[in-house]
Parts: sequence; structure tokens; C-alpha cells
Amino acid sequence: MTAPVTDESARVTSPLTTAVTATADTAGDALQRRGIFTAATLDRCISCGFCLPTCPTYALTKDEKSSPRGRITLMRALETGQLADDDPTLIEEASFCLGCRACEPVCPAGVHYGELIEEWRDHQWRGDQRPLLVRPLMWMVDRTWRYGLAATIRRHALTRRHTDGPHLMLGCFERMLFPRVSRVTRRLRPELDATPIQGCCGALHAHNGELERGRELARELGERLPGTIVTTAGGCAAHLSDVLGRPRVMELSEYLLRQGTPPLTPLLVDGRRARVAIQDSCHLRNGMGVYRESRELIRRVAELVELPHAGTCCGAAGSYSIVRPKDSRRVLAPKLDEIQNAGIDYVVVVNPGCQRQLITGLRRRHSAIRVLHLAELLGMAAE
Amino acid sequence: MPSNPAGGASVTMTSDPVTSRVDDRLLADLEAVVGEQHVRHTPGDVHPYSRDATPLFSSAPDVVVFPASTQEVAAVLRLATERRVPVVPRGAGSNLCAATVPVRGGIIMVLTRMEQIVEISAVELLAVVQPGVTTAMLADAAAARGLLFAPDPGSRIVSTVGGNVAMCAGGLRGLKYGVTRNYVLGLEVVLATGEVLRTGGRLWKDVAGYDLTRLLTGSEGTLGVITEITTALLPMPQTALTGVAYFPSLAHAGRAVSGIITDGVVPATLEFLDQKCIGAVEDYAHLGLHRDAGALLLFGDDGAPDVVKRNLQRMADRCAAEGAIDITVGGAVAESEALLEARRCSLPALSRLQPLTVLEDATVPRPRIAEMVDRIDQIAERYNLLIATFGHAGDGNLHPTACINPADGDAAVRVERAFGEVFQAALDMDGTITGEHGVGAAKLPYLQARLGADQMALLRRVKAAFDPAGILNPGKLGS
Ligand SMILES: Cc1cc2nc3c(=O)[nH]c(=O)nc-3n(C[C@H](O)[C@H](O)[C@H](O)COP(=O)(O)OP(=O)(O)OC[C@H]3O[C@@H](n4cnc5c(N)ncnc54)[C@H](O)[C@@H]3O)c2cc1C
Ligand code: SF4
Ligand code: SF4
Repeated sequence: MTAPVTDESARVTSPLTTAVTATADTAGDALQRRGIFTAATLDRCISCGFCLPTCPTYALTKDEKSSPRGRITLMRALETGQLADDDPTLIEEASFCLGCRACEPVCPAGVHYGELIEEWRDHQWRGDQRPLLVRPLMWMVDRTWRYGLAATIRRHALTRRHTDGPHLMLGCFERMLFPRVSRVTRRLRPELDATPIQGCCGALHAHNGELERGRELARELGERLPGTIVTTAGGCAAHLSDVLGRPRVMELSEYLLRQGTPPLTPLLVDGRRARVAIQDSCHLRNGMGVYRESRELIRRVAELVELPHAGTCCGAAGSYSIVRPKDSRRVLAPKLDEIQNAGIDYVVVVNPGCQRQLITGLRRRHSAIRVLHLAELLGMAAE
Repeated sequence: MPSNPAGGASVTMTSDPVTSRVDDRLLADLEAVVGEQHVRHTPGDVHPYSRDATPLFSSAPDVVVFPASTQEVAAVLRLATERRVPVVPRGAGSNLCAATVPVRGGIIMVLTRMEQIVEISAVELLAVVQPGVTTAMLADAAAARGLLFAPDPGSRIVSTVGGNVAMCAGGLRGLKYGVTRNYVLGLEVVLATGEVLRTGGRLWKDVAGYDLTRLLTGSEGTLGVITEITTALLPMPQTALTGVAYFPSLAHAGRAVSGIITDGVVPATLEFLDQKCIGAVEDYAHLGLHRDAGALLLFGDDGAPDVVKRNLQRMADRCAAEGAIDITVGGAVAESEALLEARRCSLPALSRLQPLTVLEDATVPRPRIAEMVDRIDQIAERYNLLIATFGHAGDGNLHPTACINPADGDAAVRVERAFGEVFQAALDMDGTITGEHGVGAAKLPYLQARLGADQMALLRRVKAAFDPAGILNPGKLGS
């Protein structure tokens, strides 16, 4: 380590602004922006640290670099060239972040962290820097015909008509992993159109360093499914509404609250009302502010049990559980403890990633608690 | 945050022998003390510690260490003194005066691993905590036992108790409840040379020796590293209510504040927003505030329900007598909470106006608040800046907040100059350059104007007595 500090004042540099002339005097090189990040978004952070207590990765490490504020400081260093593209901390932190956006609702300055992490990965993960394991996934969802193929194998919902909507979006992962969800959804709201050729919403791309492709996919999907798009995946909902605009997108719980449900009979377990907890979808809650709706619906059919950290990420985080399985499990562990200690019968999810994550986690612990998508829970109550 | 009156963001240094001499040997020795996984030294790993919540100040440390015990703190400090390497203690890094920016590099010592609540005693009305416990954690733990930890800085969800003590943090309840220094009973502190001292203790009365506990409170990490805090608690007030009054001008509101206090009420809450803040908050949160009013005053009290109700009525009456345009008194706790929203939204609202928000801090005697805000407005106009002011009317503590776009020519320099004049204006009114945010590196250039040369010299001698090698947070208080 070399650190011969001779000119003390030269060490004090302004974070970004070349305009702070006095700083530029002493700092020698004026700091130039590289244009990796949207300046207005990056500048917005006031470094107050209010986001630290909400960040799951900071909770694991207690190290500033794994916190939202620390990551923004790192992004600023990347933007001004103070740290190089191949700095190991930059590479590690861009990937260690769950992208859960728990840091957004608590931010007094309204920093859109989700936008920043997408721009960061877009820059950092160009070419062969992208984690190996995401590449086949992205390839898989990139072409619509591949789903057509999948649909003949898995039995998700399908309609032949082609209308102006409202359309039920068949999320790429959900249609393969949990095809039942879309089928039940159409039983709840038969007017929903489930056209087979839809394409991918592009959230996976946007979160994994292909921001422009991610937006393009969303726009294409928006053209194929004109009018209102209803989705059962919180992650897709948030990305679509970012690109297509909030009014065109409705997440299932919003839609059901507005349009109503078929008659529901309360679910009973051992003669009492079923005890049901919910695990929020991060992007749905933090990005779109939707979390009351699902609770309202659950209360109609069961006793709602609020988990203390229902709004905290489960570690699925899109492709995170595949790319960083160990960290994903570290984030998940305290959540499973909470679920197992809550004395519940079901835990409800509103996103397929969370569904897979909780099912795998609870199975590993031999727990009898069942994981259901909100649509499946309501479907049971509607039978 | 402006750094010196001449318009430079550089920090003026005296000739001082302490520079960072971090080499592989020191790294190895630090790793031997705290464990390899608790030492960071790569450029990327240390960079996030180059700043705190202070805009425009940044300087990277050479090493970051995370000690877990008093012994580890002592061992690190002994090494640093021996090698003449700066050490900057750090809690949550939420201070607003560049107090944790390592302006001379060296070691950042993060105390967040020491986060045990050692004891909460309802019988003795006190808590013993490690420095990395957050203010909110302590307040919640106390509340669970029916007790109140009174200091409530706006940053409480993230700030550490060690940082609160080192900064003597204030908050919204200053007039009735005082600030952090009124609650610190005892400290365990490690000197730069490694000795572990215990000052004060569990006693409300104890005059044995100089009051080192108070000296260390507000010492901003320049005299020692605090490793344990014994703090007084209070019984939790039964209830708290708030009211809001609008006035044609801040001068009217100022007269109401004086009147409330001469009426014999010492309210728990007495906060104001100037017209620019009201407008910004309304644009942001749509709370239905009267944006044409010249000032908004929040008044509130806590305690036994009948006393609180009576005090609120007396305050409302006084506001009416002083020409309030509109008065609402929160009848229930929830309603009162909603009224406080206007104050809570001030910073969020202002920080959305422009990319860079400079939250400042100055205090004047309570009767001169309106006069001071007038002066701030004149200064802002002269420098063509948007400076909105909110603050604690009960204790004269103002937070003039500048919203600028740093890309806009010399805006940052204009802000520095403007605030230089604001601090001078405060001094002219028998006020001070900082009421609660501290001196740090950011306000050191203004300190002599407040204290005078003799006191500055005494500060340096005190500093030298505690820290002969000058390794603790150099370039700040006592430098
Ligand atoms: C949005 C916002 C609102 C705020 N509101 C208020 C407010 O209402 N009132 C108020 O007073 N302040 C306020 N602050 C300022 C700040 O939060 C307080 O000063 C707080 O006490 C700092 O605590 P910290 O743990 O972040 O300390 P840090 O910022 O980490 O450190 C502050 C100073 O304390 C020293 N230090 C930290 N820990 C120790 C230790 N264990 N031993 C010795 N020295 C130590 C550091 O060296 C440094 O000099 C606010 C800040 C923000 C960003
Ligand atoms: S809460 Fe917002 S402004 Fe504060 S440090 Fe985090 S991202 Fe920055
Ligand atoms: S997105 Fe989630 S993991 Fe990433 S910084 Fe924000 S809170 Fe932390």
C-alpha cells in the first residue's frame, strides 16, 4: 500500500462537480463525467444514510460498500473515473446488490435506486462480464417462439381470441414453473385474454445489464398486448409500468380489487379460519407502492398474519438466486425463521421468483407450510 | 457545505507531523488485532468511507478497521499513535459537517460492530450501551420498558449513540428536554495512547474532578474513542399532542413563540417553516397547507393528558392573540402525527427541488429568529440563491437550506459565500455558527470567529493533553 500524503488539501475533492471551482483548484484534475449514469438521478442522493437499515445486504455485512449509500458513492467514483471499470469492489457490489429497491421508499431525497443499478449493470456487465449463469436464461426469454414451444409442454392458460384486452400477461418463468397460476387467474376473471404469443417483459434483461434490450422487449410486448395488461408477477409489473407507463399496467391484486372477485368462501383449517401470511414482491411494493391490495384480498378469505419483515427481500431477486445461490440463501434464512415461527398455514406470494424461493427453502426445512400464489389462494376460496 | 470563507473547498491545515503512513506492516498488525476479515484496504473497499452526509467533502482513507471490543479499539489506537497515523472514529457517517471525512487519510475506525444494549434499568432510569447501537434501537428498547430516550435527532433511524454523544446531537425536543449532553451520565473512552478510562458513571450527582464526560460529549472524535455510554432515561410521557398555526409573517410567529414561553408553557415541540418551505412541502406532499401564509408554527406538548390538553389550548390562544390566520389543534395522537408531517417533509421536499441540497445550521437567541430569517432571505437574494429556512423555534436553532444545481456555473461557490455571511449574521446577533450539526472539517474555518484566538489556543492545548501525537481526527476540532 502506498499512501504518501504530501499535499493535504489535494485529498479533499468534491464528489462530482467540476463546477466547484475552488475544489478543482486543489484537486488537480477536474472530475469529468463519463455519462454512465443519469446525472440528475445520481446527484440526487444526499448521503444521509437513511437507507442503511433497510438494506438486506448491508444487514449481512455491516460494510458501507454493501449499502445503498455506499453503492451510490461507488457509482459516483465510477462515473468520475476515480475507480476503474475493473475495480474488484465495483464488480462485486454491482452483483451482490439484490436490486430489491427496499432503499427507495425510505429515501428522503427520492433517489430512484432501481434506475441506477440498471445503469450500473448495463455498463459493468457489458460483453463477457455478465455472470455466466444469466446468459442462457436471457437467451431463453429473448425469443417469443421459444414460449410457444414451452406452452405445448406446460399447461398454462391460453385463449385463441385476440382482443384489445385486458390481457393477462404470461410471465416467462411463471408459465414454465407455475402454469397453474394463469389458469386459476382466468377462472377468477374469465374476461382476461391470454394470448399465447406475448414475448418477455424484459425485466430480466434490464436487471442484468441489458437495459436497452429490456426496454425494447417491454415495448414489443406492449404492442402485442394493446390496452390494459394484467400481470401476476410483481417484478414484471414494475418493469412494464416503468417502460409503458403506470396506467397500462395492473398487477393482479389491484385488478381484482377494482373488478371484483367471484363469491369467496373463507378457507378453514381444522375448523378455524386459515392463518395466512404474505411475502411482498420487492418491486411491486418498493417500485409501485402496491402492497395493501393483496392484504385486503387475503383478509376476505383468511386470517392475515403480518410477518415482521414481509416487505424485505426473500433473496430470489430475479436471477439472483441462480447467480449467487449462497448469498441468496443467507438473505432467505431469517425469513424462513419468521415464517416458521408465525404459526401459519399458508404463505402467499405475488411473484413467481418468490414462489420458487420459498417453496425450495421451506422444503429444505421439511416445513408443512404451503406456499401459494395469491391467485391460487383465492382460487381455492372460489371453488 | 461550504468549507471556508474565501471560497475554497480545501481544508486549511497547520503544519502537523501526522500524515498517513500506512504500509504492509501496519496492515498486518491491524489484521492481527481485529482479524483479517475486519480490515479493508483496497481502493474500492475504502472509497465508500471517503464521505459522510456532508455535500462537497470527500477524501479517501487508506484503511478501514472494524473493531469489536474496547481492547481492540485500544490496540488499534496504540499502533496508530506509535506509527503517527490518523484515526477517524465513525458511527453511521450521518453527520453534516464532514466530521468523519478523513482529510488526512489514515484509518477509519467503524464502531458499528459494537452494538450491544448492555443494560436498561427502569429502577435507576438509565441505559448502558455500546457506541454502535442506533438511536432508534435504544429508543425502541427503552420504550418497550415504558421509558423515553429523549434525544431525537432527525437521523435517529441510522445515527449511532456513539455519534450522538460525539456530536452532542440535538433534535426536535431541545427546549423542554435539552440535548444529548443533558443525558450522558458516564462514558468509557479510549485515549489515543491506548488507556481505557471511565468518566462519570451511574450517578446524577458526582463532582469528583473535572467534568470530562461533558468535555468528551461533542468532542467529535478528536479526544478519544467512546466505547460505552451510560445514558439517563425518563419515564415515557403518557400522551403527546400537536397543533399547527399559520401566521402572516415570521415576525408574528416569533411573537407568538415569545408569548407562549412567557405564559409559562415549556412546549415539547415548537417548530417553524418559512414561506418557501411551506410552498415546497405543499408541492411535494399535497397536505393542504396554506401556501400564502408567511410562516407555519407547529406547537405541541407531552405528558399527562389533561396537562397536555390545557397547554395546547393555552398555546393556541396565544397564537390567536398574536394574529394567527388559522389554527388547528390535533385532538388525537394520530391527528397530531399527521400535523407533524409538514415538518418531516421539509427536507424531502427541499431536496427534490435541485440536485444538490445544502442543509445548514445556525442558532440565534430565540427572540431574534424572525430577524435572522430576514437576514438569510436578504443574503440569499443577493447571491441569487434559493435558501428556505425551517427549524426549532423553541431553541432558536435554524436550518437554512440551500437548493442548488452544481452544474449551474458558480452556484457552489455562491452558496459558500452566502453561508459565510449567514454565520457572521448569527454571530452578530449573539448566536452561533452551529447549534447541533457540529464543526468538523466544514466549519473549522469559522470557529475562530466564534471562539476567539485565546479559546482556540486552549482547545489545542486540551487536544494535545488527550492526544499528544495528534492522531485522532486531525484537521477538525483542536487542530
Ligand atoms: C437528514 C439528517 C437529519 C439530521 N438531523 C439532526 C438533528 O435533528 N439533530 C442533530 O443534532 N443532528 C442531526 N443530524 C446530524 C447527525 O445525524 C448527528 O450528528 C448524529 O449524531 C451523527 O451520528 P453518527 O453515528 O452518524 O456519527 P458519525 O457521522 O459517524 O460521526 C460523527 C462524529 O462523531 C465521531 N464519532 C462517532 N462515533 C464515535 C465514537 N464511538 N467515539 C468517538 N467519536 C465518535 C466521529 O469521528 C465524527 O466526528 C442529521 C443528519 C441528517 C443526514
Ligand atoms: S436514503 Fe436516499 S439520499 Fe439518503 S443515502 Fe440513501 S439513497 Fe442517498
Ligand atoms: S436494491 Fe436492495 S440490496 Fe440493493 S442497495 Fe437497495 S436495499 Fe440494498
